[in-house]
Amino acid sequence: MQEIRIPICSDTDIVAARKLGREMGTKLGFSSSELTLIATAISEIARNMVTYAHDGVISFAAVGTTNKRGLLIVAEDKGPGIADLSLALQDGYSTSKSLGLGLPGAKRLMDEFEIDSKPGVGTVIKMIKWNRRQ
Amino acid sequence: MVFKDTMHIGNLEQFEGTDVTPGEISKRKDFLQFRDADIERLLEIRQFSQEHVESIVEEFYHHLLSFPDTKEFFRDPRVLARVKKAQIDYFNQLTAGNYSDDYVRGRLKIGRVHQNIGLSFDTYLGAYRRYLESFFLRLFDAYRSEPEKAVNSFLSMLKLVFLDISLAMDSYLRTIRLQTEAIRELATPVLQVRQGLLISPIIGLIDTQRARQLTESILRSIREQRAKVVVIDITGVPLVDSKVANHLVQTVEAARLMGAMVILTGISPEIAQTLVVLGVNLSTVRTVGDLQGGLEEAERYLGYRLVKDDKATPFQS
Amino acid sequence: MPVPILKQGALLIATLQDALTDKDWLDFQFELTKLVGVHRSTGVILDLTVLDVLDSFATKSLRTIAEMVKLRGARAIVVGIHPDVAFTMVQLGLTLHGIETGLDLEDGISLMKHPTEFRSH
Repeated sequence: MQEIRIPICSDTDIVAARKLGREMGTKLGFSSSELTLIATAISEIARNMVTYAHDGVISFAAVGTTNKRGLLIVAEDKGPGIADLSLALQDGYSTSKSLGLGLPGAKRLMDEFEIDSKPGVGTVIKMIKWNRRQ
Repeated sequence: MVFKDTMHIGNLEQFEGTDVTPGEISKRKDFLQFRDADIERLLEIRQFSQEHVESIVEEFYHHLLSFPDTKEFFRDPRVLARVKKAQIDYFNQLTAGNYSDDYVRGRLKIGRVHQNIGLSFDTYLGAYRRYLESFFLRLFDAYRSEPEKAVNSFLSMLKLVFLDISLAMDSYLRTIRLQTEAIRELATPVLQVRQGLLISPIIGLIDTQRARQLTESILRSIREQRAKVVVIDITGVPLVDSKVANHLVQTVEAARLMGAMVILTGISPEIAQTLVVLGVNLSTVRTVGDLQGGLEEAERYLGYRLVKDDKATPFQS
Repeated sequence: MPVPILKQGALLIATLQDALTDKDWLDFQFELTKLVGVHRSTGVILDLTVLDVLDSFATKSLRTIAEMVKLRGARAIVVGIHPDVAFTMVQLGLTLHGIETGLDLEDGISLMKHPTEFRSH
């Protein structure tokens, strides 16, 4: 299984991305509760993309070091970018009508979370869930 | 950052019944420096190996039969004949030139067989060393005129043998992992007391891993047994830190989302003090002093009424 | 894909399907609150048994629906949240405070008949 990419343009793509993430996670041997965590985190970042950037790509890949395996999820868009990252990562902060749990929520559900955003250029989010059962 | 250190690892389909993936195997081969040249060298000594395999296997079993622990496995002569034949196949595969997925699958399967019959890992290691000695001596004897070739072939063989050993170890490690999980499962029982009522008495220290396990099994049991109330009793828990307390709160919240109520009982004075000092917010959690009180409250909630029948009991009240 | 809403006496039962898009949620919200008035329903059961993900948007939609149903004078009970989903919601900090929950459809119906003394916080 190599890297898999899925374009995110509309809210039906959110559902597709979630499904794909689940499939990849299953192959990596995640438990069902972890699969739900992963699918939910994907849902949050994909929705962010649809709401703000309207267009982007999410890619999935298996990553690992010698003794652990994980699922790497990278979300890239060429949207307006996020001016204040620390604010966007705060619970309850939202410029749209959501609960403002999108980014901080995804961060909490995953083990690793990294965000890089430049206003006017776009946003890249990288996150990893490690498989604990190894 | 962790993202720079991680490497993409290709195929994720695990080999059946193991935790190992083809991507993992190719990484392992890489690190063992097992390359095409090694495959060629092994193929070159294929004929030599086939000529000597029977005598090697004889020595191999002579060794195994001279120790009581290993002799035990071969009491039945039919078994002995069968495993000798299997052993010949096994050694022949070392020089067969095909070390891809099928080879790996076969080696992993053998590891599982060893597990099933209770062969220990040190026995496996010791036996393999015995094979290498027999093989090595014959190889150097046969290639007396070309010692360099003998050395190189042997080094290639060694890489493959180490791959074999790592694969055997995977089977043992997997068993240990499964056993650990099973023990953990046992340590957090969730039991039905009455229809709709579960209790989960927790004894001993709770670490994050166990707290997580507890949450999962309680939530699963609520679904499976259609429980309306779960009484979690922590009388037997000596210590609760803020992390574990948060886990308990999360369990209560998640149970509520599923339509069930959690009653927490048996909070010792020490734990009560810690929780207050740590500032853990347990306001959403229903707490009752002891397990009896918790059960009574749960039964009331479920509409049960306990009536004492004085005639039926030998105890005087 | 519209969410099926069944009328059962004074109750409305909505079975939410897997993989609802955002538009589906909004349509459903509108349709349900409309039907509460049409059928003069006293209670609405939202059955989430088949949902495998409930993210912050879906939770917000669910809360809005429950609030709207209440304003229309009916009770709303959410039933059938899967254990994994409940666990994830809690990790995310999503709750349904103020909304009644039940184990499954059967539990939801019986809750509607017998309001319990221990209501949600």
